[in-house]
Amino acid sequence: MAAKEFEPKIIGFFCNWCTYAGADLAGVSRLQYPPNIRVIRVMCSGTVSPHHVLRAFQKGADGVLIGGCHIGDCHYLRGNFMTIKRMRFLQDLLKFTGFEDGRLHLEWISAAEGPKFAQVVRDFTEKIRQMGPSRLKQAPQAA
Amino acid sequence: MDRLREKVRNLLQSGKVAGYLGYIMKDGHPLPHLFTPERPEEVDQAIVAPDTARYPLDKLLQQLAAGYPEATFAIQVRGCDERGLNELYKWGQLDPEKVVLVGVACTQNQADYCECPGPWPSVIDSGVKCEPVTRSRRVDRIDALEGQAAFQEWLEAFNRCIKCYGCRDVCPMCFCKECALEHPDLMSTGKVPPDSIFQLVRAIHMAGRCIDCGLCEENCPADIPLRVLYKKGNALVKELFGYDTGSPESGPSPWKNLGDESTMATKPM
Repeated sequence: MAAKEFEPKIIGFFCNWCTYAGADLAGVSRLQYPPNIRVIRVMCSGTVSPHHVLRAFQKGADGVLIGGCHIGDCHYLRGNFMTIKRMRFLQDLLKFTGFEDGRLHLEWISAAEGPKFAQVVRDFTEKIRQMGPSRLKQAPQAA
Repeated sequence: MDRLREKVRNLLQSGKVAGYLGYIMKDGHPLPHLFTPERPEEVDQAIVAPDTARYPLDKLLQQLAAGYPEATFAIQVRGCDERGLNELYKWGQLDPEKVVLVGVACTQNQADYCECPGPWPSVIDSGVKCEPVTRSRRVDRIDALEGQAAFQEWLEAFNRCIKCYGCRDVCPMCFCKECALEHPDLMSTGKVPPDSIFQLVRAIHMAGRCIDCGLCEENCPADIPLRVLYKKGNALVKELFGYDTGSPESGPSPWKNLGDESTMATKPM
């Protein structure tokens, strides 16, 4: 059998109030985006712990996309202040340990930004496809 | 040494403290010991811990304070121990009113070995200030590596892990009652070496909390360069949030405080 083309596995953590609603809008607007993304709905992007991101990578995710409300629009007022602190730190720490930091991406997408949502998912999937399978997945012991 | 013993003697005699947590020489071994007013003669054997003998006194103090919440204790501190106490005050684990410092400045040898940026406490009762080390060469070396090489090096180190939890158990800053490293939903159980993310999870918990005492690395039977990882974590916290870990002036931890505004921008894809 011919070698299968690499299909990235992407985990999305989307906040209930903005990005998840944005995804809904993209859906009802019939916008096309790749099916590589597996969405996990969370009440606020600030509830996404670095544990969850690391666990996703450990379990074989090639990319993790976090979606939250724009700064100032958080349903819980300041939840996303913590999101960006955590994710910026985690991106830099992953880079230090030699794990490509580009595999973790944070994007603010509001409920009205259906086209932006579809575009971000398209771009991110394409980027991960170019990067290939995650180093953690290729490692002999991992996964 | 005499200056330190004199101070301890005075503290115990005046009744200011219920005990002094320091080091004693027993059968040729320097060991942590609680000196009490009931046994004043023991103070003659109180010592400044030599460079090679270091114990997590902050951790012992937390247990003492939990057992005797009303009592005040004196404690022998190096620069790192004091940074640890400052963090523990911030995280509500100790009451600053109930701790008296007996400070020891580290030797230049020790500071160079630790690459310590602050090898003396705010109170010095023994030793003299030495030159601090402001840049860590070990961190710089990894920083200079290309991604794949860094990954290989870390993975090789992580795969040596025997999951003994020694790093966590010796850490004076690890005070949580439930640990993410033991949570079956966050970490696979029943395999050695553990998940490759094991050390990363700990590194995340240590960011803005690690006081760079280095006991984890000394304790590690697999010689994993944990200190490099945590030093980098703290450097990032300083760079991103301007938070100086262990300093009493740097305000609440960025992980504890949402802040009134957020000026950080997301990284472009």
